[in-house]
This record gives sequence, structure tokens and C-alpha cells, in this order.
Amino acid sequence: MNSTAEAKHVLRCEDIEVSYGAFKAVTNVTYEFKPGLLYGLIGPNGAGKTTLMNALSGRAQLSKGRVFLNDQEITKQSPHARTWAGLGRSFQITQIFAEMTVFENLRLAAQAHRFRLQPFWRPVGKFREIANDAEKVLNEIGLESFGHVNAGSLSHGDQRALEIGLALLSEPKVLLLDEPLAGVGHDVAEKAVELIRRVSEGRTVLLIEHNMDVVMEISDEIIVMLAGEILASGEAETIKQDPRVRTAYLGEEE
Amino acid sequence: MNAQRLLALLVAIIISAPLLLPDGQGVGLVNAILIWSIFAIGFDLVFGVAGMLSFGHAAFFGVGAYTLSLLTMRMGWDFIPSLGAAGVVGGAVALVFSYFAIRVSGLFFALLTLALSQLIYIMAGTKLRMLTGGVDGIAGVPRPDLFGIDFYDDGNYYFFLLALFVLALLISGLIRISPLGQALKAIKSNEVRAEQIGFNVQRLQRSVFTISGVYAGVSGGLLASLIFYVGPQMLHWTTSGDVVIMVLLGGMGTLFGPILGVAIFEIMREWLSTQTSHWYGILGLIFIICTIGMPKGIAGLITQLWDRIMPGGKS
Repeated sequence: MNSTAEAKHVLRCEDIEVSYGAFKAVTNVTYEFKPGLLYGLIGPNGAGKTTLMNALSGRAQLSKGRVFLNDQEITKQSPHARTWAGLGRSFQITQIFAEMTVFENLRLAAQAHRFRLQPFWRPVGKFREIANDAEKVLNEIGLESFGHVNAGSLSHGDQRALEIGLALLSEPKVLLLDEPLAGVGHDVAEKAVELIRRVSEGRTVLLIEHNMDVVMEISDEIIVMLAGEILASGEAETIKQDPRVRTAYLGEEE
Repeated sequence: MNAQRLLALLVAIIISAPLLLPDGQGVGLVNAILIWSIFAIGFDLVFGVAGMLSFGHAAFFGVGAYTLSLLTMRMGWDFIPSLGAAGVVGGAVALVFSYFAIRVSGLFFALLTLALSQLIYIMAGTKLRMLTGGVDGIAGVPRPDLFGIDFYDDGNYYFFLLALFVLALLISGLIRISPLGQALKAIKSNEVRAEQIGFNVQRLQRSVFTISGVYAGVSGGLLASLIFYVGPQMLHWTTSGDVVIMVLLGGMGTLFGPILGVAIFEIMREWLSTQTSHWYGILGLIFIICTIGMPKGIAGLITQLWDRIMPGGKS
């Protein structure tokens, strides 16, 4: 079974559709994500990129279709169950525990990953293993000197890094990153890109990003969405040349 | 000394009043404070720690009271197992409530818990009259019979209640700093993120709601034995309202705040009710002024003042 999983895909969606009333935010989407690749998901505003991510992570209900993670169907699973199954994500609007320290944030993610039932008979500080997990990721995301700072008072860029750190602690096989660079300054963005590169080693990453230079540079494959559907997908060079993409998305005149 | 220790000291003084005052004065009042504190400490696990406003806790409190009364008086059970059963039944009813109410959040959660508890209140007064004694309730609820000590003496009963209060406080304190408590704080802080890092949010909410129901059931049983009576009023939504007020007044989400809130509430109830028959209205007015003036309750106010006076004492 390992050999087939290695050869094929880690995440697969089959003809999925998400509709809000008559409006189809995502429709006809069938795609196979291969292990270890970084996918750049692009498309104009309202193309359905975030909705697709929500559909994959369980935050949006499918009106049609199925989702598989490692050949296990996860279509009906709740978000936390998908996290356990190996699907991590960050959000477009930063979702952190703002009034807790950076370390506490990470320790919570470590604890959620380690324990299915949360222990209540010992202080959390006595569980060395989760503190170690948190410490490790704290260094990995470059926030080692901010462990005792309240997450809410971090700079925007550091909050985005913390978001990725929280997702990493569930040891995801697939990581969904929704605009991790949005609103991040130039110099910080470089650091963030470096972090994305690092975390994508050995896992599948789906990245929504508006900065074309970044996407084209770091993605192994680009997926272009338009009006809820996948318009085109392929390597950066192919996508850049694709006339449909140029017309529909890059805004080039014929 | 930091503010937390100051609050602990304050609580210690209040609950040891019968030992400090001559002739054990105030023991009746302190007994009531200890019992309501167990209720409030458990309620705050749901309200202050997990961030869920329940208006249905009267149901768990009341069924605990009825359970203890019926088991001791009709079934001939001993007091201690009956008290345990009161906790179990309180927790079980809370668990049932949670299956209905946790699907929704915020105001709808509060309204659903309120509606469910009122259902039980009405049933206790009508359909279950044979069991509950209807609106008359059941009089003659006993106190424990242990080691030959006369617990019908308030001074002796005080030590029994004090032991249970300390136990309730310790368990609550441990839960708060345990992984479970941290997970609940996470849910309160950001439910979306909590779910996404892998917390089973609904199951955690159900767990704490059930634990809180056990606290309510035990305290309800204790109150029935303190006043030798149980009636449907204990199930009424105003009882839920009282515990909300107590916790808000004292400081939600803090370990000692709810106890201070209970103390103030009970002292006011005791004193105001001798002054005027409109005491509940006046209490409400004081409550409104307090919540506007000190949103973090008495515990928050004391902490703030203490940190201002003793900036170095901050831990």
C-alpha cells in the first residue's frame, strides 16, 4: 500500500461542488495532489480559492463530490478529524489565540496533536513532551525570542508565521496555506517565503497567494481557478504561456 | 504577595469567619456561602473558562437536590452515596442538555439551556408531582450521619461543607491548569483555530458542561440538606440567574472570583432582605452598577488595585 501511495496522490477531490443557494462557489473540481509537491493556487478574487480550501479542510459543506486523504474518504469528517488524519491549514484572516503567549499557542497545538482525550489530572506544565514539541516548532518558525510574548501583540508577519507553526504541530502530510504573505512587508515576506519552502519539504502544500512572482517561483505546479472551476493547471512556464489564463486572469488583451 | 494570594487570603477569611468570630457567629451564612460557592465554582468552568453562558444550571442544581432528598427519604440510602448520586444525576442531566444545546452557540445556547431547564421546572411542579411533591416540595431532608457527629448542629455541619468546598476548589483549580482547562480556554479564545489544530470542540464542551453539572448536582443536594427542604424554586430559572450574577459580580474566569461573588451576594441577600421586601430589585440594581463599573468583577478590581499599589508584587 505504501508503494502505491508514494506513486500516486496524497489528497484527491472528486467532482466537488460547494454552493450557497443558487451560487456555486466551487464546482466541477476534480484534482489529485501528489506527495511532496508545492501547489500554487491562483485566480482572481471570488474565483473560489478559499472555498476550495474550506471544502478540503472541512469548513465548507460539499453539495456534491468526495474528498480523499491517503485513499481514505474524509468527505463527511469534521475539521478536527481531518487534522488528525494529516491535513493542516492556516487562514486568510489570522486565527491565533491572541491573549495567550506564543509558547502557549504552540503548546496547545502540540497538546491537541498528542492527546485525543485531554488529561485533567495534572498541570499542563508537567507534560514535558508537549512543551518540547512546542519548543521545537518555536525555533523552526524563527520566533524563539518571542515565546513569552502575547500572540496578539506580535507583528503581523510574525503572527502569520505562528499560524504556520500551529498547523505544523499536527504533523500534517498536507498543508493548506491561505495567503500567508497577505499584508506582510517586503523584507519579512522573504523570510516567510523561506519558511514556506522549508515546511514544504517532504509534504504536500497548497498555497493561495496573490504575489505572482512568489507563486511562480516556489510552486512545483500552478492551479488556476476562475468562477469556481479549475481553468488550467501545470508547471509555471506552461501556465504563463496558456492563452486562456492570460485572457482570463493575467488580464492580457488578445 | 501578589494579587492572587490576596484574593486567596480574602476567601480564606470569609470562609473561616465562624472560627474567627466569637461563638461561631455567622456560621449559617457561611454554610450557605460554601454551598453556593461549589455551585458557582462549577458554573464558572463552563462560563468563565470555556466561555459558554448557560441559563440552565438551575436544572442540575435542582435535580441534585431532589435526588438526594428522594434517595435518603424514600429509598433509605445513606447520605454520602445519595450525595454522590446527586452529582451523578446532575452531571447526567447536563450531558443530556449538552447534546441539544452545544449545536448552537452564544445567545442561542443560553436560550436553549434556559428553555430546557424551565421544562424540568414545570415538570417537577406538575407531571412529576407524585415524586417531587409538586409546588409544596419535600420537607425534612436529612443531613449526614457520620462518625456519631451531630451535623444538625450548624457548627459541625460547617466542617463537613468546608471539606467539600476545599475539594471542589482544588479540583477546579487543577482542571484550569490541566490540558483540559487549557483546551477549553483555547476554544473560548478562538473556536475556529481550536478546531483546526485538532481539538474536538463539541466533545470538550460536553465534558466541561457535564463536570459543571456534577458540581451543580452536589451543591443542590447540599443546599437541600442545609435548609431541610427541596422545592421547585431551586429548578426555576432565577436560580440560574443567581449563579450568573454571583460569578459576574465576583469575576468570571478566575478561581477565587466566583466565591467572592457568592459571598457578596449572600451577605446582601441576608442583610437587604431584613431591610426591605424589594431586596431582589435593589440587588439587581447593585449588580448592574457593578458590571458597568468593574467588568472583571471584584477579583478583577482587587487585582487591578493591588498591582497599582504594589507594582513589584506582580508575579
